[in-house]
Amino acid sequence: MKQIIRMTALALALLLLCAGCGRGSSAPTGAGTAPVGPSEPIVLHILENDTAKAEGYLDALIAAFNEAYAGKGIQAVDANMDEYTDLALNGPYGYGPDVLYQANDQLMKYAEDRHILPLAIEELDCYESTPEAAWDAFRLSVDGSVYFCGVPVNIQEPMLFYREDMMPENWQAEWDDDQNGTADFFENWCDLYAYSASIRESDPARYGFMASLNNLYLASPFMLSYGSYIFGEKDGAVDPSDVGFSAGNAVNGLSALRQFAALMNEGCIDDTITLNRYEKLADGSYFCTVSTPDTYSLFVGNLANHYMGEGMGEDEARARAEANLKMIELPAKMPADGDLSQDSAGAQWVDTVVMGGVNGYGISSYTKHREACMEFVDFATGYEMIQTRVEMLGIAPTRQDVAQVSGDTADMIFDSLASGRICLMPSVKAVDQIWTPTQTVMGDVAKDPFRAAQGEPQKYGTTEALQAALETIDKNVYDAIHTLAG
Amino acid sequence: MDLLFLRAARTRSAPVRASLCVMGLGQMMCRQWVKGLLYLAALGAFLAYLVIMGGADIAGFFTLGTHEADPWLGTAGDDSILMLLRGLLAFGIIIAVILLYRSNLRDILELDRNIKAGLTPPPFVKSLRSFFDRKFYVAALALPIAGVIVFNVVPIVFMILIAFTNYGGNNVPPALVDWVGLENFGRILALTEIKDTFFRILIWNVIWALSSTFLNYFGGLGLALLLNKKCVKGRRFWRMFPILAYAVPGFITLLAFKFLFSYGGPINYYLTQAGRNAVGFLDIDAGIKARLIGLGVNAWTSIPTSMLLATGILSNMREDLYEAASIDGASKWQQFLKITLPFVVFSTTPVLITNFIGNFNNFGVFYFLRGGLYMDGYFLASDTDLLINWLYNLSIDNNYYSIGAAVSLIIFIITSVISLSVYVRSNAYRKEDTFR
Repeated sequence: MKQIIRMTALALALLLLCAGCGRGSSAPTGAGTAPVGPSEPIVLHILENDTAKAEGYLDALIAAFNEAYAGKGIQAVDANMDEYTDLALNGPYGYGPDVLYQANDQLMKYAEDRHILPLAIEELDCYESTPEAAWDAFRLSVDGSVYFCGVPVNIQEPMLFYREDMMPENWQAEWDDDQNGTADFFENWCDLYAYSASIRESDPARYGFMASLNNLYLASPFMLSYGSYIFGEKDGAVDPSDVGFSAGNAVNGLSALRQFAALMNEGCIDDTITLNRYEKLADGSYFCTVSTPDTYSLFVGNLANHYMGEGMGEDEARARAEANLKMIELPAKMPADGDLSQDSAGAQWVDTVVMGGVNGYGISSYTKHREACMEFVDFATGYEMIQTRVEMLGIAPTRQDVAQVSGDTADMIFDSLASGRICLMPSVKAVDQIWTPTQTVMGDVAKDPFRAAQGEPQKYGTTEALQAALETIDKNVYDAIHTLAG
Repeated sequence: MDLLFLRAARTRSAPVRASLCVMGLGQMMCRQWVKGLLYLAALGAFLAYLVIMGGADIAGFFTLGTHEADPWLGTAGDDSILMLLRGLLAFGIIIAVILLYRSNLRDILELDRNIKAGLTPPPFVKSLRSFFDRKFYVAALALPIAGVIVFNVVPIVFMILIAFTNYGGNNVPPALVDWVGLENFGRILALTEIKDTFFRILIWNVIWALSSTFLNYFGGLGLALLLNKKCVKGRRFWRMFPILAYAVPGFITLLAFKFLFSYGGPINYYLTQAGRNAVGFLDIDAGIKARLIGLGVNAWTSIPTSMLLATGILSNMREDLYEAASIDGASKWQQFLKITLPFVVFSTTPVLITNFIGNFNNFGVFYFLRGGLYMDGYFLASDTDLLINWLYNLSIDNNYYSIGAAVSLIIFIITSVISLSVYVRSNAYRKEDTFR
């Protein structure tokens, strides 16, 4: 018995010793402000897009910031992550950038779940010079309160790229009815259609306007110009339960898309034209195509290569390519009834509406240095850095003071934004669900003219069929967002 | 508690009863100090773990959190998914301690028996050596089994558990996740669109898995037999080509085929140059064309593996069997059916089953060839999607992780049932010694 008591005492002593080895405290998962020693600089991890990195803008930005803040103990470094790194997955566990540059739809999907911070935008240098429409891209309504979770840097929309030397020689006489110095086919879609048809008639191997018609962003004029919308609004906030691709006279736009597809080739059904547009524009197969402003250098590069292939020197080829390649907005007028084949002289018009986006900076909610991040964003959206960005990357800045001196493109895009001709991508995470349903239906409708050529029955020969297709988009988008949402 | 516990409880021995109450105590009473202390330390560590975090982890497993974090305010909260994992770990530790407790009982009963028989218990090092000697397989397999548990069992159990939660959609951290029981399975079977899509894809998935396994297997065997023929000149040279196809990364091959069959690809280029209309091999109207192209492309990437396997097996064939068959008047086809095929099938049945499961879950082929289509009559899927592609659409593209987990659990059950039932009926299992 004594032995049992002695052993039990020994066991208890050991247990207490083990149990007392340290009561671990669990680290909080939320962000706090980490104490930083006086000799230890605050290091901010900056995530920029690949183009900014490739063109050296991120290096220039970091160098300028580090020089300016050398005495304040703040240092910026490249986050060295994929440009679409998932902050929602990585941020809560201490990974991910402190500051990130993304398009408004990407940035704001994080804002909904509070992965990026609401910002005191009034304190920023760019606040006054940035238009309200650009700030709205980063607006978030929560329980009746309005927050801004991003700082606009530049705006994007699909643009028309063409070779000036492929304009018809007599365009001023034949294609400028209003004699305003701009060819009619750059002003309205009926004349662009007519000119594309004339090119096909003169040479079946050449095309006029070419685009991947299954791409909602690039072919957005056909989807958004007739009173349709992506998501509705409720109480001043985006309402993803109201999907509106079939709203208004949207069917006229889809009919126009189907009509224009007949002047293209089957490449418009998938992403073939998106992939070959640089090369085909350069070799003259396409008269014009659609792309975003940040691809301008790719078009110029391909055209320069084409000239070099003809025996021209590199510098001369580059200079000629830059002079010959033009980037303008898509034609501003679409026929109200969606019939592109009508004479433009008697046509009724609606404004062309394209899809656009605002890129900007956001601050991760999981950063340990919120104030330092705000300093960085203020610096990066300051006049000088935005001007540098314009010079190095050719962007259209949202800062109006920079836009006024940076050229026509920014002015054009600004005017369109102000007049409602740019429909900004909704700043909600539900926007992720719009792409595949629209791609499927737009590709299917674009295929219709080619079905006839193959002796197959056409699927979208009636207005009812086109309307049903649009309603299918609405339904699929709604289902993707809500059916399983719980 | 089991028989071991009852046996120990019925034993009227102080050390046994001591170890029954406190692990290792009886061993120390029998002057087995090291062993006793190790058991006791394990018990101490376990109790300390329970007090410090284990208890909270087990409770958290059931609640999956009660306090939501607010990243804007920087306030910490519960991370449901982490709590699920930590709860899983806590149960794993409890199971490990129960096993250790059983070994403690087994050890003290044996010790007590030996002492009563007048034997002196061996010192710790000697008993350790004896254990390794008697049960070498336990020591040798301990590490691999631990690896299997950590890298295979835990993720599978985690996935199974996710199927019973509402993780996904709007319920992702920092929002809290809850247990929902069988609700996800109910949704798959109750929501008309999802149910219809599930069964449509399942039927196609089974047809795909059977036909692609058949095609790849016999394609590889046929190629191996052809390149085994002595009359074929430059056999090594010809064997190089399938191996080259095998060496190219799969997704590169798939993207190349996608380009090949696209409207801008070379096949349509030559068709249009020849005055024919371009063909939408992979577009929305492709239907059976896209499925056949998928089978062909999968055969291109998989036949080399089957060919290499069959080549190795055919090199072990006994020539005298064919000589005897020829003398008996068997034709080449009869020789193939009666000698070659049974031998090859017998040796490769397990591989055939893994090929079937691999094809059933073949994600890459249709993801790369024909991703990005939602067809009429399908819920977030197209007519060529397999269950694994649908699972991806649901769980990754649309963040419905719990529904995705429920679908993957169903896939797991289907493939397990098919593969196990095929395997236990196969000659490879029933007549293991036949061809030795």
